[in-house]
Amino acid sequence: MERFIDLSLSAIMLAGLYATMAYGLGLIYGVLRVVNLAHGGVIMAGAYLGWVLFERWGIDPYLALPLVIVASFGLGILMYRLLVRHLPRGPAGGPASLLLLFGTWLVLRNVAYLLFTGNDQSIRTSYSTASVPFLGTYVSVNRLAVLGVAVILPILLQLLLKKTYTGRAIRAVAQNADSCTLVGVDVERIYALTFGIGTALAGVAGLLSATIFSFNPGFGSGELLKSFVVVVLGGLGSILGVGLAAFILAVVEVFAILVLPSYLTSAVGFVMLVLVLVLRPGGLFGHRVLG
Amino acid sequence: MRSRSTPTPCRSALLATLLLSLVAAAPRAAGAAAPTKVSLGATLPLTGAEARIGGFFKEGYELAVEEANQKGGLTVGGKKLPVTLSILDDTTTQATAVSLADRLVNSDGVDFLLGTYSSHLVEAQSTIGEQNRIPYVNGGGGATKIYKRGFKYLFGTIAPVELLGTTLMSWIDVQQKAGKLPRPAKIALLWENTAHGKDFRKGVSDFAAKSGGAYQISVDESFPLDGKDFSALLGKVKAANVDLFLADAHLPDYITMHRQYVAAGLCHKVVSYGARGSEKGAVDALGQENVNYVVSGVWWSAELGKKPGLAKAFVELFTSKHQGRKPEWFQALAYESARALFTAIEQAGSLDREAVRAKLAALKIPSMLPGGTLEFPASMGQQAQNPFVLQQNLPDRTSPIIFPPDAATGTGIAVNPRCPK
Repeated sequence: MERFIDLSLSAIMLAGLYATMAYGLGLIYGVLRVVNLAHGGVIMAGAYLGWVLFERWGIDPYLALPLVIVASFGLGILMYRLLVRHLPRGPAGGPASLLLLFGTWLVLRNVAYLLFTGNDQSIRTSYSTASVPFLGTYVSVNRLAVLGVAVILPILLQLLLKKTYTGRAIRAVAQNADSCTLVGVDVERIYALTFGIGTALAGVAGLLSATIFSFNPGFGSGELLKSFVVVVLGGLGSILGVGLAAFILAVVEVFAILVLPSYLTSAVGFVMLVLVLVLRPGGLFGHRVLG
Repeated sequence: MRSRSTPTPCRSALLATLLLSLVAAAPRAAGAAAPTKVSLGATLPLTGAEARIGGFFKEGYELAVEEANQKGGLTVGGKKLPVTLSILDDTTTQATAVSLADRLVNSDGVDFLLGTYSSHLVEAQSTIGEQNRIPYVNGGGGATKIYKRGFKYLFGTIAPVELLGTTLMSWIDVQQKAGKLPRPAKIALLWENTAHGKDFRKGVSDFAAKSGGAYQISVDESFPLDGKDFSALLGKVKAANVDLFLADAHLPDYITMHRQYVAAGLCHKVVSYGARGSEKGAVDALGQENVNYVVSGVWWSAELGKKPGLAKAFVELFTSKHQGRKPEWFQALAYESARALFTAIEQAGSLDREAVRAKLAALKIPSMLPGGTLEFPASMGQQAQNPFVLQQNLPDRTSPIIFPPDAATGTGIAVNPRCPK
């Protein structure tokens, strides 16, 4: 029983991490139909920004969240205005967007090498190794905090999408951009905002990851891959689906250790990805645009 | 009708091949007649994932070359020749490491190659040395499989990781025989799913198998590189109730795993993460209180410089050049690789690659590496077999060498005092 509780808690914590990493990728694809390959680079940039704020000014990573959100949002707007908006719309823009955003990721990575060298860095706070007892086992305080953020983020996103004019405009643009233009919605502005929000979410994921893992400029590739698996499992464009898919993936990966060698457990997600793409291409939760 | 004076395509190709061969052979023929310098080439991962360590290897190579040149160069055939070293950035990618090594040999015409860092790059790049019959001496490729290919021109100053497991178990065995550890002792053996991890596992499990029941491996699990969550794996360790926690991990996984280890309230009589433990990055990320008593094994430590000898001279030379910064094993192995090659060149008395290869194969020189002698035994694929030194982190922020006894600068603590009794 204790082992079951241990594994269940591990799965919940891991799900929080996966969901945080994947929200931004899911949102951008849901609205712009662009697979943001620079997502991994922004995660890395968020990690470094958090690290600089912590090391230089002693700002706790969780207190630094608003700063990282603003900076990443700004980076996203910049990336959209300078690069993404020049891409052709529709299927023709697919390969071009992949190449462009992959190139952007490489640029971000090399800038980080220039600024910070290839050394591994990490953020160590007073709660980095702290834990709280729970049902006869221990739960990491930091991972609990990440879970908290992972739960709050989709709630805030849903409030934004459902309760505000901008949110309704985002949903409308995701459904039919041409019709939105006819009724006076500034589609370009909505695209820029969405790209900014998605990038800000990636920045948050980077900051939170930096409190758990060490990182270097190569950081973000594994995170991008995992985010991609989560987003496809959840159904491209479904924010709530992303959260649920993150939970399913984490449960399967964690409990797989009971029947598989540890090194194979991370491959379970990719097997699931292939199965979902073959059997249910719209994702486990269907193709529901932005919930 | 074709004119007799018009060359056929076949003749043209033959002529071109002949000319190209002459051009390619010219520098070496001239060099062989009257060498004016010893030209060395190397690639290192100066950017990319291994950039930090690539920089350390560069420091080691450059120090060895500077030292040789300060003495007037290498004595080759009774004449002093200066040493030049071309270092190119292989960007931590196999393809670049291979193509740049090929360029160094076939375009830049270097006499000998020094190796790059990390096993996967050395494994790929060393084929260039073999194909071109040019001695390739490295201190960065530790995986034993690199040396099991029957290569004649490949020499490694870096001992196999398997010996790390063996050395660690040897120290544990001493502690067990002294009654400080239980018999049989239960082991959790966690290893990264790489050649490095597999070698470590072999070292530990072979020792345990030959111990006559003194050790029982209760958990034997591998994990992928850059893992995001080790809690399930650590849960298995917890359930097995083991005495010794022996893992082999690279720095990022060490940090992630040990944070979860501490948060889960785990504690074992002996804790080791293989070669990881005493580096500043780990202490910064985990906190001194959480890395105390962790045992780590390294190929070389600046602690060896506390005793008179070659290591002391190297530490002094390095620190004087780098404003008091102490060298790590990376610089030491790079320096020793270059020094081994220099010695072989001087012993051969020429820049003839075959003669130098033969001298390297028969080399046996005093060394600053643990064990005190450097040689490349043919039976081990010309990979040096120097023992590791074990260090243990102490609360006073020092990491003295605790094993082997002849190199020890402190006494190891076998039962982790952090664990509740």
